[in-house]
Amino acid sequence: MHGIDWVDVGLSGLKIAVVLGAMLNVTPIMVWVERRGSALIQDRPGPNRVGPFGLFQSFADALKFILKEDMLPAKANKVLYTIAPMFGLIPALTTIAVVPWGRPFLLPSGRLFEPIIANVNIGILLIFALASMGVYGIVMAGWASANKYSLFGGIRASAQMISYELSLTLAAVSVLMAAGSLSLPDVVWRQTGSFVLFNAVKLPAWNIFSPAMWIAFVVFFVSAFAETNRLPFDFAEAEAELVAGYHTEYSSMKFALFFMSEYMAMATMSALITTLFLGGWDIPWYNEPPNALGFALSVIAFTVKVSALLFVFVWVRWTIPRLKYDLLMKLGWKVFLPLAVINIVIVALFIARRWI
Amino acid sequence: MIPTHWFLILSAILFTIGVCGVLTRRNGITIFMCIELMVNAVNLTFVAYARQFHQIHGLLFVFFVMAIAAAEAAVGLAIFISLFHHRHTIDVDEANLMRW
Amino acid sequence: MISFIIFFFFAAVAVIFAAMVVLHRNPVVGALSLVASFFALAVMYVLLEAPFLAALQVIVYAGAIMVLFLFVIMLLNLQHQAEPHTRPVQQFLGYTTSAAFGLALIYYLAKYGVTKLPDGPFVSDARTIGIGMFQAYIFPFEMVSILLLAAIVGALLLSNRSGLAKDEETS
Repeated sequence: MHGIDWVDVGLSGLKIAVVLGAMLNVTPIMVWVERRGSALIQDRPGPNRVGPFGLFQSFADALKFILKEDMLPAKANKVLYTIAPMFGLIPALTTIAVVPWGRPFLLPSGRLFEPIIANVNIGILLIFALASMGVYGIVMAGWASANKYSLFGGIRASAQMISYELSLTLAAVSVLMAAGSLSLPDVVWRQTGSFVLFNAVKLPAWNIFSPAMWIAFVVFFVSAFAETNRLPFDFAEAEAELVAGYHTEYSSMKFALFFMSEYMAMATMSALITTLFLGGWDIPWYNEPPNALGFALSVIAFTVKVSALLFVFVWVRWTIPRLKYDLLMKLGWKVFLPLAVINIVIVALFIARRWI
Repeated sequence: MIPTHWFLILSAILFTIGVCGVLTRRNGITIFMCIELMVNAVNLTFVAYARQFHQIHGLLFVFFVMAIAAAEAAVGLAIFISLFHHRHTIDVDEANLMRW
Repeated sequence: MISFIIFFFFAAVAVIFAAMVVLHRNPVVGALSLVASFFALAVMYVLLEAPFLAALQVIVYAGAIMVLFLFVIMLLNLQHQAEPHTRPVQQFLGYTTSAAFGLALIYYLAKYGVTKLPDGPFVSDARTIGIGMFQAYIFPFEMVSILLLAAIVGALLLSNRSGLAKDEETS
């Protein structure tokens, strides 16, 4: 054990503070976007009383959550009922640690500043490991509430999430094969620069533009909706069938935690899609200078991409109706899983022919 | 660096707990979970020895054990579901007929 | 120093939650405790310089196998079934036998166990493991894939109720 590098510790603390602050602020912003966006889609005004354009509506909501009574159902398992919302939140907050959110640059002191909290060489595996723990929050909540609707929500969530995790992981395998690395910064570095598609158009070297990745992108994108329990796949809470699913019995801040974890999981998923398919922090047709300016521009590019994807999540939710449950399972096992495997073969072919 | 035999002792304790569960419980799924616990204790031994002797083979065996544990879980749980549908219990003492 | 603290903390977590699996009457609590125990084991793998395996441990055991267990327990609604205690003689024999077994195991581990520290760091990244897997162990690897296929078919056959009902009608 050598001495502790305090500058390194300070930089890590700063990075954690920045990312945690961004993640915690995602929820109020997204609640506002969701409510105004749904209003826009349904041609109605939406919340517009609290602050300009209703911008402070989320803070009013938060205040309401804090002031509400915290209920405990009589037959609930108290320990599990209490820790379930926290279990929902942990995966959403921790997975973002291995996602790079800007271009690395040299500090004036000669130290390389990497805008990523934990640069581990098994980054993507860590994400899937932690994301697979997300289902326990829902299952625990569903079971501990001692309510049959909650239980159904929990059962559905467990079946749905293990089914879609498979296609999600296999779609990511395509990207990792092309990158030849499990580390997310490597995946992003491979996507910088540009390439010429079919001898016709010059495109950024993002994975989404590569013909080998088109199927993988579609599979990953749709599975991401299922994995975050969003419409059209929100069977864990399906209000038309299950009252409110796994969080039927929850109130006050415990409910707010579920709410927050849903939006944070969305943000993490968007960051992951951006990193794997949309070139991460890369700006198309532009070579970022390796200094603070390039870093700032790349962070803005990353934020713009993630925000656009978050808006797509909202857009899809208010546009596409919920599927039937058996259709969801059929889609996962009979369509997406074979497609993801086929895409792995396609990528292998591309690698063998040196087209990638 | 933590000595290898500490991991081995931890693995022995976990294995013993698993044995204890298999011997004293009647719920089929709990017994099954105890078997998974024993499998994991053995995995820990494999990894500990892999580091001790710098052999990658120990880690590869853990892979195979994981794959077999997954297959075992799928078939075992299917057997329990089938048993439950026929006898409405998964008490292993009740499953004493080879054919139902 | 800090790795020793981590070791003892997570060793305690692994043992306590493993004991919960055996002692708690409710299978749902048992399954969740087992998840915690597996998670602690993943931390052990990190301490043993096998982070790749630790991630796989969480993905395969905690993320897939245990969700399957929980799914089946909740699907069969087993938490309302009171599990009858085993006979006292079985309890007694079970606890004493396993305690004796465990003590013997630890005794021999302490007696003949390796006390020498491994020399140097151990490299076990994805590349090394992959090369080992696809060169030395390619035949077992293919066998495992066939085994998994057989398990899928077997599980489908066993849990397919309508097929079984038809089978009973014909026989």
